[in-house]
Amino acid sequence: MTDAAPAIFVALEASGLGAAIRQSSWAYMTANVGHIVSLLVFFSAVAVIDLRMTGFFAATAPGNILRGARKAVVVGFLGLLLTGSVLFTAEASHVIINKVFLLKLALIALGVVNVAVFEYFTAPQVKGLPPHAVLPSAARTAGIVSLMTWVAVAICGRSIAYF
Amino acid sequence: MTRTLIIAGALIALSGAALAHHGWGSYDASKPITVAGPVVTSKYENPHATITVKGQDKVWTVTLAPTFRMENRGVTPQMVAAGKSVSAYGYASTVEKDEMRAERITVDGKTFELR
Repeated sequence: MTDAAPAIFVALEASGLGAAIRQSSWAYMTANVGHIVSLLVFFSAVAVIDLRMTGFFAATAPGNILRGARKAVVVGFLGLLLTGSVLFTAEASHVIINKVFLLKLALIALGVVNVAVFEYFTAPQVKGLPPHAVLPSAARTAGIVSLMTWVAVAICGRSIAYF
Repeated sequence: MTRTLIIAGALIALSGAALAHHGWGSYDASKPITVAGPVVTSKYENPHATITVKGQDKVWTVTLAPTFRMENRGVTPQMVAAGKSVSAYGYASTVEKDEMRAERITVDGKTFELR
């Protein structure tokens, strides 16, 4: 526990829920493993979309890729949020003042904004295109930004423990 | 695409460097120490169990292992409870004052590897 953190995070860590997570023989470990599994589900589906948007797998219509992979992206993301919340609650007061964690949050925000912009502006233009059609440059940009952002998020996540 | 691959490669290289650089970086592995004495306080909690031990010179905070591993290796909460006598071999932190990370602990005449 550190008092350098805002009171709400100190309170969260000190809460019964925080203590229960830390004292359980399985909760923290399960959340840790679940976070990695969720990340695999999330990133593999994200990567399929992003690679298609940057020009790979052109023989498959972009709309098919988007429809199929979106569900896995959402499931993976919800899994990451849930397991991440468990890990965060156990050590909230330390983690919230960790610079790498704050960088990770900023990168997640960037990734989410990129998804929102893509879904609102670009996906509608792309989803009806036939196989081998040239995609708008915004699709390519979104794909590259997405791949780089989520890889950077993962690097930050794993690095929290070392800073 | 080539550019993406180069950037991805750079990120991976960077992450490798970060991992290799840290882990034990904040503990002085060149000077192993042994802290022995009674346990003052004990937290059998995740991500790492920690105990404070009244050593000869001062009270040390001794970082142990995740509780699941502790149980697997045979170190129960009772074995590191307040009042028990333990000996911890490990490395002093270069960041946290009076903190050390235990490679192994000896309690009740038995030694348990924690790494």
